[in-house]
Amino acid sequence: MTDLFRLVGTGGVIAYRALFNWTTPAMFVGTLLVGPLFQLLFFAYLGRQLGVADDRFYIVGNAVLAATLACVFGGTMAVSNERRFGTLGHVLLSPRSRTAVFLGRVLPYAGNGLLIAVTTLTAASFLLGLRVPVSALPALLLTLAVAALSCGFFGLALGAVGLRFRDVWLVSNVSVALLLLLTGVNVPAAELPAGMRVAGQLLPITHGAEAARRLVAGEGFGSATGPLAAEVAVGLAYAVLAAALLKIFEAESRRRASLDTL
Amino acid sequence: MIAVGALLHAKQLSRSPFEIATALIIPVVQATLAVYLFRAGGEPGRLLEAAVGAGLMGVWSSVLFGSGGAIQNQRWQGTLEMIMLAPRPPALVVLPITLATAITGTYAMVATLAWGRLLYGIPLTFADPVAFAVAVPGCIVGLGMFGLLLASTFVLMRNANALTNTLEYPIWLVSGMLVPITVLPGWTGPVAAVLPTTWGARAVREAATGSGPVWPSLGICLAISLACLVLGALMMTHVERRARAAATLALA
Repeated sequence: MTDLFRLVGTGGVIAYRALFNWTTPAMFVGTLLVGPLFQLLFFAYLGRQLGVADDRFYIVGNAVLAATLACVFGGTMAVSNERRFGTLGHVLLSPRSRTAVFLGRVLPYAGNGLLIAVTTLTAASFLLGLRVPVSALPALLLTLAVAALSCGFFGLALGAVGLRFRDVWLVSNVSVALLLLLTGVNVPAAELPAGMRVAGQLLPITHGAEAARRLVAGEGFGSATGPLAAEVAVGLAYAVLAAALLKIFEAESRRRASLDTL
Repeated sequence: MIAVGALLHAKQLSRSPFEIATALIIPVVQATLAVYLFRAGGEPGRLLEAAVGAGLMGVWSSVLFGSGGAIQNQRWQGTLEMIMLAPRPPALVVLPITLATAITGTYAMVATLAWGRLLYGIPLTFADPVAFAVAVPGCIVGLGMFGLLLASTFVLMRNANALTNTLEYPIWLVSGMLVPITVLPGWTGPVAAVLPTTWGARAVREAATGSGPVWPSLGICLAISLACLVLGALMMTHVERRARAAATLALA
């Protein structure tokens, strides 16, 4: 069991340092902290102008969504950068559980996502004057962590697709754009057509944002447990999907001898 | 030379499935978001404005990421030395690349307008079709010239990518591509006034909706862009000389 935790924890951190190697402090701050804050401000001002919803709706929703950049692209990098750096074969030659190796890689990205979401929420609350009840902070932190983890598993599932298809970055870019539209973070779910609403229910962030909004509104943890449980379920579903896809595509690429040739 | 170069680079960019799909799909998603937001806000009469705004956002993204990475991309392709060896000022060699990024950005505009028309039945009735037909290419040329300044500035910065990733939403916001400048804090006004994106977006919007005179906005956009072109050319010459002297053209 200790070995498994070491594989998941230490392995995940080492892989993070190796595969997320494009970040410098300036890049991290610019791309992952300042970028999401401006995204939040853009939608908050657009929402103000159109009168669609109040600032709280946009601040909380976009703060939860801010985790997606690190989590979706991080999860994708956790798999696809192995191929780019020519180390995928070595990882797949390892006799250890592939599921543990790859699922462990999501943890540092989820940690990143949580940091980004908390920073974005704090900065935006300060800039736009949102008051968050102090009593809601622990549950809010838990909600942001669950949403980030759920999003990380979503990113890993997309990364698994990279074992089979070459243009996984296209899939990641489009997915991040779709999260903006479908999660109800910027357009209230009631205003979306039924098909989009259903798609949103199956995506990470949707339920997490709902839970966070209820907590910030002071409705208490009890009112947020439903959406929070739904977010946990979505995250688990993507973890299982990612593990299954990794297994299937690994077997397929071994069979076709196409591991490094796609 | 500029025309042939821009065409060549536009063709090259258009061969990349990633570039094309990104230029077509992401603006369409943003246009859809804008359409539902404007509908939710009880502004169904402004859907054309939403589609045009989303298209302009796509043009800016293309210029920002294309021009910001213009030099770096040539370096990665191994063609930087060859284009810098050409017996022409470096700005004339790089300008076609940045113009090409703006030209491929028009895919976004075409995609959002076609998407809006076909899926949401947004009537493409421009208040001044002639002015719109002139304002869009004018805005594209202006942004292409602005792109040269970005390209020459970013090549000097070690962490240019961080700035590129950060500048997308602020320029969308401050330039009033979807959010009217009037709802922003007052201090953003002077920032918006010196950006060619503000005036280009304003000209295109005025041509589409008839909300004001197109030609002054377009003129200011082109004048600021021309100043950016001159600044970018000077900086590009300086950067090229420095890179040659330090033998860091392929390394910087």
